[in-house]
Amino acid sequence: MWDLPIRLFHWVLAGLIAFSWWSIEYHHGDWHIWSGIAILTLLLFRLLWGVVGSSTARFSSFIRGPTAIRRYLGGDWRGIGHSPLGALSVVALLGATAVQVGLGLVAEDEDGVMTGPLSRLVSIDTSDAARNLHEIWFYVLLAFIALHVAAILFFRWRGKKLIAPMITGKTAEEPGTAPMRPAKWWLAIVCLVIAIGISRWVLAGAPPFSP
Amino acid sequence: MRRFALMIAATSVLIACGSSRPSQASNSAANGAANVAASAAVAAAPVSGAKAAAIMHERHEGMEAIGKANKQLRRELGASAPDLAAVRAAAAKIAGLAAKSGGWFPAGTGPEVGKTGAKPEIWQDPKDFAAKLATFQRGSQAFDAAARSGNLDAIHARFTDLGGTCKSCHDKYRSEMHH
Repeated sequence: MWDLPIRLFHWVLAGLIAFSWWSIEYHHGDWHIWSGIAILTLLLFRLLWGVVGSSTARFSSFIRGPTAIRRYLGGDWRGIGHSPLGALSVVALLGATAVQVGLGLVAEDEDGVMTGPLSRLVSIDTSDAARNLHEIWFYVLLAFIALHVAAILFFRWRGKKLIAPMITGKTAEEPGTAPMRPAKWWLAIVCLVIAIGISRWVLAGAPPFSP
Repeated sequence: MRRFALMIAATSVLIACGSSRPSQASNSAANGAANVAASAAVAAAPVSGAKAAAIMHERHEGMEAIGKANKQLRRELGASAPDLAAVRAAAAKIAGLAAKSGGWFPAGTGPEVGKTGAKPEIWQDPKDFAAKLATFQRGSQAFDAAARSGNLDAIHARFTDLGGTCKSCHDKYRSEMHH
């Protein structure tokens, strides 16, 4: 149900969010910034993979409107991958993580010693505000993660295991639904290379392109 | 030997007066002065009461001003054509405050006395702290000299050096302090 890039993305992201918290809590500012840049790379990769990746990874395959969500809640949904409601969770988690990364990129500490790579592109006041919001937004992100974990526990209680498929990629066949159409493996490499390239440019302070 | 160096330095300062590029000798004299100021930093007699509070206040304001100048410099030097007058003003500001910073850390001005970002480790390892403070003072003077010279390559290099001296000291001796 989940291809390898999606599974790696998921677990590496979870690990890096934990590492980001740990590194800043214990004053490893350099590691924190590197971790944030790595998360940026993951998000960019996920964005690209959501367009050209396997069928269950594509945003167009799982993001649905309110009607589909209502029908899902009424029990009228069959398929593999993200449900119409689960899609909201994906968007919320990716969005909250992106906001957190964006704030971190322009934030700097009180002394201007630990600095986000894009902080000097904004005013000192903006940068200070971003730092404060970066600290607060972490709790918003935590709340979304808590909701995500609670939902998994809820489904487990209802008899549906969600963790194993995110590790093995496999799930029981749902009769009458189409299996995942995997994307070409080398496309994942292309997406990753593009994501790393953009991240490196951001890390360099987003310099203008000169001939 | 030191007296000799100081004499040379004093002479060369007189000669170089008005010229923008300070000589090697005046730099080393400044280094010596910085070392003396820094070793006075933590060896000074302990303070208490109103005097301690006044020093802690001055330290806080001074560090904040240095931080602000640093942030302005980061933005100015990130621009394609930095405003040299602004760079010089900020560099002079930092160098001036750095010269005073030797008097900011007498015993009795730590977190046991009041709210401060200064860690108790400062007074547990005063020699190392004094050495780091001296490095910062030298860095501020070297950056100030580079700013006055107007050589952009030197300005960028000395600014990076200076930032390194802030970081190496703060990593060990500065705690977070929320206002």
